[in-house]
Amino acid sequence: MSPTVKKALPVSASAVILWAVLTFSQGAVLRKTSDLSLFLFDWNFLRESFLIPGGFLGWAGSFFTQFLNIPWLGALIWVLLLLLAGTLTARTVALPQSLRPLAAVPVALLVIANMSLGYGMFIMRPQDYFFAPTLGYLLMLGIAAAAWRIPTLWGKLAVIAVSAFAGFYLAGIFALAGVAAAGTGILAGHDDNSRNPALWERILSFVFALAVCIIVPLILYGLFTRYRLADSWSLGLPSISDDEWTATVRRPYWILFGTFLLFAAVRPLFAEAEKRNAGRRFAGPAIAAVIVAATATFWYSDSNFKAEIRMSLAADRCDWDEVLDIYRDVSTRHAGRERKALDKRKAELSGATSTVQAQMIVKKYDSRFFRPTRIMVMFRDLALLKQGKALDEAFTMRDGGVLQKSLNQIPMAFQAARQLYMNYGMVNMAYRWCLEDQVEHGWCFGTLKYMATYATLMNETEFAAKYFDKLDKTLFFRGWSRKHRVLSADVQAMSQELPYREIIPYMSFDDRMSNDLVKCETYTMRHFLEDRDAIASHEFDCAALLWAMRSQDIGMFWKALAQYLSTGSEKALPRHVQEAAYLYSILEKKDMGIPTDKSVRDSYDSFMNFIQRSSFSCKEEMDIPVRQKFGNTFYYFYYFVRGVQTF
Amino acid sequence: MKKSTLYICTALLAATCTGKPGNDAVSSGCDPVIFPDYSGVLLPRNIAPANFMIDNEADAYYTILSNGEASVGIKGKKVGIRMKDWHRLTQGQDSSIGVQVFLKKDGRWSAANPFDIYLSDDLIDRYITYRRIPVAVESYEVLDMCQRDITDFKEVIFFSNTMVQNNESGTCVNCHHCGNYSNSKMQFHVRQYKGGTVLAINGELRKVNMKTDSTMSAGVYPAWHPTHDYIAYSNNKTHQSVHAMSHDKLEVIDEENDIILYNINENAVSPIETDSSELECFPAWSADGRTLYYVSAHYEAPFGPDRKSRIFLDRKNLHFNLYAKPFDPDTRTWGPHYLVYDAEEAGSSMTWPRLSPDGRYMMTCISTHGIFPIDQIASDLFIFDFSKGTARRATEINSQYAESYHVWSSNAKWIMWSTRREDGVHTRLYFSHIDENGNFSKPFALPQKDPEFNRSNLYAFNIPEFMVEPVNISAREFAEFIAGNDAVPAAFESKRETDKDGVLITTDYRVDGTTSASAVGNGSTTEEMYLH
Repeated sequence: MSPTVKKALPVSASAVILWAVLTFSQGAVLRKTSDLSLFLFDWNFLRESFLIPGGFLGWAGSFFTQFLNIPWLGALIWVLLLLLAGTLTARTVALPQSLRPLAAVPVALLVIANMSLGYGMFIMRPQDYFFAPTLGYLLMLGIAAAAWRIPTLWGKLAVIAVSAFAGFYLAGIFALAGVAAAGTGILAGHDDNSRNPALWERILSFVFALAVCIIVPLILYGLFTRYRLADSWSLGLPSISDDEWTATVRRPYWILFGTFLLFAAVRPLFAEAEKRNAGRRFAGPAIAAVIVAATATFWYSDSNFKAEIRMSLAADRCDWDEVLDIYRDVSTRHAGRERKALDKRKAELSGATSTVQAQMIVKKYDSRFFRPTRIMVMFRDLALLKQGKALDEAFTMRDGGVLQKSLNQIPMAFQAARQLYMNYGMVNMAYRWCLEDQVEHGWCFGTLKYMATYATLMNETEFAAKYFDKLDKTLFFRGWSRKHRVLSADVQAMSQELPYREIIPYMSFDDRMSNDLVKCETYTMRHFLEDRDAIASHEFDCAALLWAMRSQDIGMFWKALAQYLSTGSEKALPRHVQEAAYLYSILEKKDMGIPTDKSVRDSYDSFMNFIQRSSFSCKEEMDIPVRQKFGNTFYYFYYFVRGVQTF
Repeated sequence: MKKSTLYICTALLAATCTGKPGNDAVSSGCDPVIFPDYSGVLLPRNIAPANFMIDNEADAYYTILSNGEASVGIKGKKVGIRMKDWHRLTQGQDSSIGVQVFLKKDGRWSAANPFDIYLSDDLIDRYITYRRIPVAVESYEVLDMCQRDITDFKEVIFFSNTMVQNNESGTCVNCHHCGNYSNSKMQFHVRQYKGGTVLAINGELRKVNMKTDSTMSAGVYPAWHPTHDYIAYSNNKTHQSVHAMSHDKLEVIDEENDIILYNINENAVSPIETDSSELECFPAWSADGRTLYYVSAHYEAPFGPDRKSRIFLDRKNLHFNLYAKPFDPDTRTWGPHYLVYDAEEAGSSMTWPRLSPDGRYMMTCISTHGIFPIDQIASDLFIFDFSKGTARRATEINSQYAESYHVWSSNAKWIMWSTRREDGVHTRLYFSHIDENGNFSKPFALPQKDPEFNRSNLYAFNIPEFMVEPVNISAREFAEFIAGNDAVPAAFESKRETDKDGVLITTDYRVDGTTSASAVGNGSTTEEMYLH
């Protein structure tokens, strides 16, 4: 193996591994990132980017972000840019061979910044954050390299001044960081040419660089109206409408700037290290190991998060089988771990001497058992309803509502309201959340598509055209736009096509004034229980019956059942409906005359016998054994899935 | 313009330009479909170029505009007219610009039916201000207060909420308004973070908190007195809700309304109309400042937490009538109010009265119910002609969608308003001329440099105002002032009012819901009455 190949091998292997992880493990996340971004091939779109310093960087970032729509391609572009960033870092700050892995520090920070976001991706603004900082970092390198290479003082000052003005206008804080690093590097006394500048020249350059970093934002502030003066020195960085979370999101970038400044300051020491060849054997691998460990530590990983995103993408394609497969898949993937946890719990419980101790043991193991988030349950129920299987299968799958693994809980409304409402036929609420979303985070491909879908469903052709016009200017959605524009002008054809034909049956309800108060699930429940129209469809009544069962309200169930029977023509009642009817008849001690299968009655009897005979310390302890036996019944849901938190 | 002249110009131009339609172009007989629709409109001679785009399907386009000697040929689907060419056209000898569109299909040019753009010698005010906002429900992020020079395309943001608000504390800006079309009397509201009503009077800034212990809210909809230093405001407790299934997407309703007068010199507010069973709103002064018009709906429901949901349920029964109330600006004394137009009787609701500066007209919105016309597809413009004593729907300028926020130019010859006629959702600014008989010309859209602007832009433009001079305070000055100053609380003044017998009564009302009225002058009684 030649030395060149040997040198390049670790870097190439790292790049390939990163690309593979991104593509195969994070593909859905990348795809969703693209869905939440926007790039239009349109002069006005470019022009708007100039309304704020750093906007152009965002525009460029958006250009690349759209390629995440094809995850392997987007990941490849990003990895190549990161590779370029690493290589240029090593060259620009002249890292000695032994310390070459240090060039991966900025790269790792850029990776961490993106991959540590988790649920933050849904409330980031602007939505160009995935690529823009990488491009900004390349600009930083370019500014520093140019300033260090120019031999004359005036040349250096000119580079600094131009970079500060033009760079800040185009790329915001990244340019200023580049200018600051350039000044720091010059002060530290290294030049990429033979000339050795005098001390006063070095001090002057440094002071000038610092001065323009302060003055340029002050000068340019008067020309813009899109930000506060206090925010001038963070333009170009992403933010979230929460100060604490914004600070967390921005931390990797501040560390990135600090790292690069440090590299610039200690560059002469790198040269020394190269000469001494100190620690050559161990330094590189040690640095690389720390970087990999740090990246892995901060890389956000949560199976529910990924499942939510995959389910959401599948729902966008109306691929309801896929939605259910994902749900089942994530449930079964926990099976092995759950079995082990259960065995351990059993062993510990057998030694428990008091109820309190038993409860503590149960609590200790609680988090090791799979629980879905509410969004997962919402998508699952939606898929079952669309397939007409909800009333037979909704309660056969694991239920509950685990909190998001996140710094703050993101309301379901921010994440999936437009999608859930739209598919449930609550189109005006979907419209409302598209608007809220675009106001808070800017227009994105997903919102434009939903707005077009909304306007098409409401037969508002001129309104729909507005969004088709935008989508026509995209790279990946112009085909979608062409197809749906035709449908928007042909009600008959539209009603036969997906997603419209699956949404329209749910649109049979009366208008009323409403506000979901950012509680997507409770509003959906209320809608189906209260908004029924005199001419409701059977699909609506199926959903209403499901939500009545979810409400665990006996009166609501009977009402919804009566409505369901009035529009349905099925010969036999679905399994869960029979279970609920049988249970509620017994609880209310009155026979409502609902026919129930013998198997339903038998399973209820077994359920009750099991509970009455068992001797558990608490309901929580009883939960898993009961679920293992009766987790596919409505009885289990009624008695054991209670107090679920939704937000 | 005579058609023959147009054809001669066309032929001459065509002959001199190769690659453009020649003499062999045949008449296609079809009408050109243009956007915005400027065919047959009447434009003021000083307005910006009426750029448009051609929607007819064709491989190539060529348009000739001519007025007398002046003639301009423009290639392409988008007809962008250079400023100097436009000036030649609008200053031409004829009172119209002839427009001939040529379409090239399958290698052959054909002429669409020509149309005219008419020119009026009634000039329009040079500046307009408006708020540019994203179409939204509850959230807001970027709200710009803009000024546009409508004799060209220059737009200036004179304040944006983004210059003040931060990540966690939002700032809303709204209801910019000026007195007598002048930059020496301007006001707008800043809500929430760093909130207050910002007044710019002769270049001096003031931020006022008009919410007092005796008023229900800060000032909302303003009306600057034409001769004295007063501003009438409504007080509103506003709520909005989403229609679950309707082409009307939103419903905005006020739970309570009053009208107050802000005395600029005294920095004090006094009540004007505060009847608890009436929802009084949208004050508007007559041209002489001696009458205040406003709208009000009768609504009785107990005050408390249920009132909001109840009023939403009753929304279709909220019919606002038009009232007037005499006012003596020198003594700040009010007379008893009287009904001007009974919209309720007609099953309608009248809102947003705006009087022409010459005193001849008043324009309002009319809708089926409620107080917020912009969100009601049924909202139309309605015109009162006081010289003839007539009142009618302005059918010649109304569309199938919502019309709202109209305003008169300073010479009372033009109106501008927000309309959703283009797509039902995005408000756009349109204009129309009113002639001496009270008839409106065909509405036309605010000219834009890019004729596709109204189609592609996803913002809404509302509360437009005419101004005769530019805003003379920079966005930065506004921002620094708003961010750096707390609102000064306004004092509360008594209301002075004569009853129908001419007895002068001064009235206070307090936050506990009671009013104390003392008759002075000829009267001798004192009474206590409960408002809420």
